[in-house]
Amino acid sequence: MTAKILKSSFGLDFIQRTLKTTGVVLLVTFACGAYYFGFYDALAYFSAGIWSMVNLIFLSALVRTALKPEGVDKVATAVLALIKFPLLYGAGYFLLTVEIFRPIPLVIGLSLVILIMFLKAASRVLLNLDVVNQEDSTRGLA
Amino acid sequence: MDYQTGLAIAAPLTVGIAAIGSALGLGKAVGSAMEAMGRQPEAIAKIQTGMIIGAAFIEALTIYALLAFLLVMGKIGA
Repeated sequence: MTAKILKSSFGLDFIQRTLKTTGVVLLVTFACGAYYFGFYDALAYFSAGIWSMVNLIFLSALVRTALKPEGVDKVATAVLALIKFPLLYGAGYFLLTVEIFRPIPLVIGLSLVILIMFLKAASRVLLNLDVVNQEDSTRGLA
Repeated sequence: MDYQTGLAIAAPLTVGIAAIGSALGLGKAVGSAMEAMGRQPEAIAKIQTGMIIGAAFIEALTIYALLAFLLVMGKIGA
């Protein structure tokens, strides 16, 4: 007799795997986009994708530093918050207001991390990758 | 009131409402995450991952609102 158990891979490494996949997809699609849609649209898409990746890295670091039950590392939290909120958001505002970047490639680039995150999670659920069969341990006791 | 005046009133309101919605959502997410961490300290990694993903989604929605605002601002006074 076998029993199905849930072996979840939804740990913090999920974010790292999402970032790696996003980086690869971003590089490949940047090359294709530069050829088919023009260099500046591809650059807008690439810049927005890099920005959203860096944003996710800082968000992840901030959550891991600030939200833990054993206490908050105040200095690290302050440094991360000072980098993320004024500098990263300033860079994001600069990207949004640059005249040569059209909004549609920016939106696609900003959404890429989220799209990949959603697809990775959906594929694990749809393909049952987190559910594994296990021999019933009580069989030998009978 | 012409349409440009309407846009000039509606565009900042849109960003403001989006920011308020995001702040409420993020506050609720962090509060629930802290409560869950307190109840189940062994599940901290999973709770933090869920928290990070939720925060990324919430942030993205606010950024879309800001982008829509900037697009609409380009139409005002044109």
